[in-house]
Amino acid sequence: MNRRDVIKNVALMLGGAFSAPTLMAMNHWESPTKSYPSVATFNLTQTQRNIVAEIAELILPKTTAPNDASPGAKDVGVPAFIEMMMKDCYLQPEQMSFIEGLEKMEQVKFLELNDNERKGILKYLEQETKAEMKARQMKQTKMGDNDDHEDIKKVAKGLPFWRLIKELTLLGYFTSEEGIKASFEYVQIPGKVENIKLKPNQKSYAY
Amino acid sequence: MYLNIKATKNNTFDAIVVGSGMTGGFAAKELTEKGLNVLMIERGREIKHPQDYDTAMKQPWEVKHRGKVTAHSAEELWANKRFGNLANDESGPFFTNDKDNPYIEKRPFDWIRAYHTGGKSMHWGRQSYRFNKEDFEANAKEGIGIDWPIRYDDLAPWYTYVEKFVGVSGQKEGLDVLPDGHFLPAMPLFAPEVHFKKMMLEKFNRPVTVGRVANLSQPQEWHTKLGRASCQYRNKCVRGCPYGAYYSSLSGAIPAANLTKRLSMLHDTIVAEILYDEQKQRATGVRVINQITNQVEEYFAKIIFLNAGAMNTAALMLNSKSNRFQNGLGNDSDQVGRNIMDHHLGVGATATVEGFLDDYVYGQRPNALYIPRFRNWGNDKQSYLRGFGYQGGASREGWSRGVNADGFGGDFKQSLTKPGQWTIGFGGFGEVLPNPENRMYLDPTRKDQWGVPMIVFDAAFGENEIAMRKDIMNSAMEMMDAAGFKNIAGYNRPEVHLGLGIHEMGTARMGRDAKTSVLNAFNQVHSVKNVFVTDGAAMTSSSCVNPSITYMALTARAADYAVKALKKREL
Ligand SMILES: Cc1cc2nc3c(=O)[nH]c(=O)nc-3n(C[C@H](O)[C@H](O)[C@H](O)COP(=O)(O)OP(=O)(O)OC[C@H]3O[C@@H](n4cnc5c(N)ncnc54)[C@H](O)[C@@H]3O)c2cc1C
Ligand code: SF4
Repeated sequence: MNRRDVIKNVALMLGGAFSAPTLMAMNHWESPTKSYPSVATFNLTQTQRNIVAEIAELILPKTTAPNDASPGAKDVGVPAFIEMMMKDCYLQPEQMSFIEGLEKMEQVKFLELNDNERKGILKYLEQETKAEMKARQMKQTKMGDNDDHEDIKKVAKGLPFWRLIKELTLLGYFTSEEGIKASFEYVQIPGKVENIKLKPNQKSYAY
Repeated sequence: MYLNIKATKNNTFDAIVVGSGMTGGFAAKELTEKGLNVLMIERGREIKHPQDYDTAMKQPWEVKHRGKVTAHSAEELWANKRFGNLANDESGPFFTNDKDNPYIEKRPFDWIRAYHTGGKSMHWGRQSYRFNKEDFEANAKEGIGIDWPIRYDDLAPWYTYVEKFVGVSGQKEGLDVLPDGHFLPAMPLFAPEVHFKKMMLEKFNRPVTVGRVANLSQPQEWHTKLGRASCQYRNKCVRGCPYGAYYSSLSGAIPAANLTKRLSMLHDTIVAEILYDEQKQRATGVRVINQITNQVEEYFAKIIFLNAGAMNTAALMLNSKSNRFQNGLGNDSDQVGRNIMDHHLGVGATATVEGFLDDYVYGQRPNALYIPRFRNWGNDKQSYLRGFGYQGGASREGWSRGVNADGFGGDFKQSLTKPGQWTIGFGGFGEVLPNPENRMYLDPTRKDQWGVPMIVFDAAFGENEIAMRKDIMNSAMEMMDAAGFKNIAGYNRPEVHLGLGIHEMGTARMGRDAKTSVLNAFNQVHSVKNVFVTDGAAMTSSSCVNPSITYMALTARAADYAVKALKKREL
């Protein structure tokens, strides 16, 4: 899929809600980005922090419906968690790809877009990432064949930005105290293991 | 340290046990219970059971990196990291810092170590299966390596003895390929697994059972006496169990040995050499180095049990040179350090399961399903030798399914609070053949920070293993397909090396002939009768089942023999 196809798909998905500013923003998508920082200096600017927070909150927003009131990513400290994790647990390829993703967001002026437009961008990102992950996976399966040992060293490109921020948002949220308790039935010491029947609307157990 | 005052006076004991892990702990228990004063020497730090399991009760949000390995930790524990998440915040502090304890890879070898009280018994997956009759006979029948000097029946009573003490939950199946043991009540199979089991019997006549696992599903009085309680099904065993519900040297053997008041223990003490008396033609003791102070000391005993873990035991023998043994203690055959075996893993398949959507599970089963070996068994014949077993299981997807799925926003968040579909996955543990060219040895010049020669690994999978791996993946996919599962994906990780199975063994094998083996039928060094090797080094072949219960059975049997021989003044 090329970029035009992805945009077309996303526009279809959103029911035509792909606004002119979003489309315009898309034109800056592939403009060259700034030089990459080195690992030692993985540091976000305030603008980038705001973008991380807004994206995290769009992924897991605060909800207030009576049957589903739960905190959002921002409420439980996910943005700071993401930055800490990117710094502590990832190496240069991922850190670079994360920064590169944020720079793209800056270029499309993400923070100036309205809610719908932001969602459009994320949908686009999602589709683009999906194609990229699929390509990576195919490469991996191929390498899994044992005949292709040499290839493994070539996978130097970090995981895509969307994959990183989504995983870390989910991880940070669903393992936070408020996130766990609002989302699941948290059982610290089950005391037994048994097969049960699921009750309607039953939440997952978390341990 | 709990040094026995009387004995320390002259640093002399009845027995010295090197290493406090799975097998060292068991040796110390047996020897002390049979009346000997034992000094157990452990190179790593002391861990007190259960108070030092400081991450065990942490809630998810109290663990900073939430299960992920930090870049720093990945660098310090570079070998551990190859296994996966062992180097994370919860368990990393209990594994050995590879940067401080480096080894040399002539060919890559994944060496996972845990230098502390209890060794790797603190972290094991607790899967416990007996070798079968064929496992002890195949080498002789097929002309591979050398023959075992013992048969299944020699070890059977000792399996029972160990299983009782340890406490193994499992299901009797009456299979020749996977002999039954002394079991505590079995854990349940989950709904799709029950379906799978039925389909495998129907379509392939292949049995499937629930894992046999050393977790107390129902503690017996001898377990309770040691302070061990029933499993609480949290499945956080790798952090250490506050209830002593899974077996480890820390929760079982060491407390039992302590009850005799005949156990003395040293920590932070590296055994660097076994002392050999040329006149008496026996080992007299050990030379040790304190890992903190570097102080050197000697300890003496009538018998010595080597239980440092297969690779370290072989290294210790190779480093114990004398006029009589210029290539290392007991190494007349030049087999010490050779024939490294392991179980190869990192190969299997995953799939999604349709249906069973009203089936769910309460609690976390610290266990898996087990598919016993079916290759080269009965009428089956393959182009390669031996076989493999699978371990794995079914579970319902949790929130993490959201990572790769489309979607974000309020509904997405809400949907992730419910269980997702069932998925299933299992991977093979394949038998590795003994090959004298797969070896470790001591580097002639390079030394570690205590002046002990560094270990060099020079080993790799052979053709038999590589052929078997392909079959492990393909057969897994075939079975999943036959069970009606969907989205079947096979994997055969190319970056897996020998060692990653963490069942490294074979470096001082048992045998009938001193010319081709290091140990006799009672794990006694052929040429140094008062030295016994009862860790994985002793293994003559590897079977495909997890080996620790076999190591322990060999240990108990050898200890029994040693004490009887001592009493008859044969040692
Ligand atoms: C994550 C994981 C999962 C596993 N799962 C299973 C499983 O499901 N089933 C199974 O059967 N096995 C399993 N194993 C393997 C099992 O842990 C080992 O087989 C077993 O612990 C080996 O016992 P050992 O006594 O030989 O060595 P260890 O238990 O490693 O003990 C050796 C001890 O000797 C000490 N030592 C080493 N060198 C010296 C020296 N020179 N001087 C003094 N002390 C020394 C070490 O510090 C250590 O404490 C698993 C291992 C791991 C890490
Ligand atoms: S699952 Fe059982 S054995 Fe494992 S840590 Fe929990 S209580 Fe202990």
